[in-house]
Amino acid sequence: MRTPSWVPALYLGPAVLIMAAACLYPVLSAFQLGFFDWSMGTPWSDARWVGLDSFVSAFSNPRVWSSLWTTLLFAAVCVSAEMVLGIALALALEKPVRGTAFFRTLFILPMMIAPIAVGLAWRYLFDAQFGLVNAVLGLFGMAARGWLSDPALAFAAIVVADIWQWTPFVFIMMVAALANVDAAVIEASRIDGARWWQMTFLVKLPMVMHVIAITLMMRLIDAFRVLEVIYVLTFGGPGDSTEILALHIYKTAFVGQQLGAAAAISVLLLVVVAALSWGALRLSNPLKSEK
Amino acid sequence: MKRRSFVKGGAVSVFGAGLPLRGALAQSRYARYAGQTVTFGIPAHPHYDAMLKILPEFTRETGIKVDVDKLAMGRMKEKHLLEMAKPQGDYDLVSYVVMWKGEYVAKNLIHPLERFLKNPALADPAYDLNDIVPIYLENLGMVGGPKGYLAGPGAQLYGLPYGAETSVLAYRRDIFAKHNLQPPGNYDDFARLLRLLKDKEGIGALASRGQAGHQCVHAWLLHLNPLGGSVFDDRWKVRFNDEAGIKALKFLQEVVATGPAGIPAYGQGESNTAFLQGQAAMYLDSTSLAGLVNDPAKSRIAGKVSWALHPMGTRRASQSGGLGLAIPRNAKNADAGFLLMQWLTSKAQDKACTRAGGTPVRNSTMVDAELVRQYPEFITFREALKYSNPDWRPIIPVWDKINVQALGVGISEALTGKKTAEAALNDLVAPVTQIMREANYKV
Repeated sequence: MRTPSWVPALYLGPAVLIMAAACLYPVLSAFQLGFFDWSMGTPWSDARWVGLDSFVSAFSNPRVWSSLWTTLLFAAVCVSAEMVLGIALALALEKPVRGTAFFRTLFILPMMIAPIAVGLAWRYLFDAQFGLVNAVLGLFGMAARGWLSDPALAFAAIVVADIWQWTPFVFIMMVAALANVDAAVIEASRIDGARWWQMTFLVKLPMVMHVIAITLMMRLIDAFRVLEVIYVLTFGGPGDSTEILALHIYKTAFVGQQLGAAAAISVLLLVVVAALSWGALRLSNPLKSEK
Repeated sequence: MKRRSFVKGGAVSVFGAGLPLRGALAQSRYARYAGQTVTFGIPAHPHYDAMLKILPEFTRETGIKVDVDKLAMGRMKEKHLLEMAKPQGDYDLVSYVVMWKGEYVAKNLIHPLERFLKNPALADPAYDLNDIVPIYLENLGMVGGPKGYLAGPGAQLYGLPYGAETSVLAYRRDIFAKHNLQPPGNYDDFARLLRLLKDKEGIGALASRGQAGHQCVHAWLLHLNPLGGSVFDDRWKVRFNDEAGIKALKFLQEVVATGPAGIPAYGQGESNTAFLQGQAAMYLDSTSLAGLVNDPAKSRIAGKVSWALHPMGTRRASQSGGLGLAIPRNAKNADAGFLLMQWLTSKAQDKACTRAGGTPVRNSTMVDAELVRQYPEFITFREALKYSNPDWRPIIPVWDKINVQALGVGISEALTGKKTAEAALNDLVAPVTQIMREANYKV
């Protein structure tokens, strides 16, 4: 007997509705908040309608644009490096050899650490006086650097901390994806005389491209939202050289006490992340093959 | 009436109300609240670490339990604001940074203390509010008055100092003796010593804060005041880019150039650590360092430090600031919260907390013979308090925004060489003026 078409809708409907409400409510709330001037610690009845002022200010504020640029640069550098390193590590540890399990466990440890702890750890590692990074440089006769006090080096420092923490995520996603590549296809390519690089770039990676796209999208979204590590490591400084958009939003909301303005910039961030995610998915639509 | 006498006068009249009710009523004031739990929001801070050592005694003595919520200083305000905005919040007593007091009052989040102090069932007749260092009481407790954050007509007491501080100079006695140097009495000597110590000793001359945001502004203000400057003039017009402001910022740039490496990334913790670990010959900042200097677990320079007054510029002016205690309006157990506040800041517990490494808020503690033997620097601290300026920074409700989002970026840019001192301060005039206008100041 054929199942009536409304049955799946009946079963799925409640879950979809709850998910949609849970996703949409905060977004709509943020959008609504953007039309009000509301300071934290005051009742909502004190909120003042300001119309599109906060959105206009967000677009005309040079600090918003400079932090957006910093965010784009941060995301581009971090995510590129994490994708390359994560895929390379996964390919290196793809085949079970002696110690594989140990190294796989070791490589995923950083992403299990709380971001605040990561920020603190790197703050000490990069400390100009007592940090391990300068101590190691000293062993090679190199001068100590003020990693967190020089704008360019501070940016490099936050990039290194992010790559260290999140390359393992790419690694673990790729290890899982590569494990599911059909062995027969690999064997066939080997019989056809494919070399290592041909097997990697023309066979394996195209076969896991849907996982790469999803991983890329998830890392991009995360890179745009990162806050705690940079908060602890540099608090956006020196100057505003490491002030990414999420930190700018934080400062606007919790230091400037302008929740409406912060919400308006958050909507801007949402649009940017959504556009980039859409672009990443367009690269290789994981759902295409399911059609 | 002078401002300080206003503070004293107000305090006496308010506390005097409890005096006739000494005796049984006062002694039994805890009985009604035994079994209640006071939820106490505190920062991770050396003074509060010392306080935690004496806190169990409060419960033993009163039967009132205390649930402590300890937060990183930087995250404390947002948590407290969220809690205090609810119809009934989690906190019965909160610690706050001096800069937040005006905002908390403007948002009607904390109680004026008068209602507690005038309640004979709560107020301890032996408390002696006049013994609390008046400058601390004014700076941390008073809101209102002509400027909004100082004593004067219309001002009320909203909090009590606890973890209050002023600025003093700490210097390495061994290094100064080795080079036959004297601690700097004025800013000319101070500037000369920076270069001299860097060249002769090879370690940083002066430890300082410098991280973007509040930290670098604090460091700049430390020099701005004695050099004769201020952030605003008497009509709230920006004046920080005048000669004194530029001189103070150039001095801070020299501190960075001659100090331990990495000052533009230093918060208070890093600055303290640099001095305590022997990476700097001098330290000019909060008196809260005193409890750490001779603790061998935290300091490599125990027994090698002497203290002096904040050097004099065109005037002598040490900072005023630190932490206070207030009772949220939405506290569930506000009376029990007040009893804890009163107990912590009492004469006996101020001494106990100081013995445990905290910073005193009472004159009687700072002249206590036993404690002065333990902390001879209290003699200097008492002297420094005579020059402590309660108007050291304009703690208006929008100060946090000006501090972190405007000044904290521009001054940081000057410290990293991105801008000259003149350009950095001149570029800050427009954004700071804009913030003041948005806050309805007619400038």
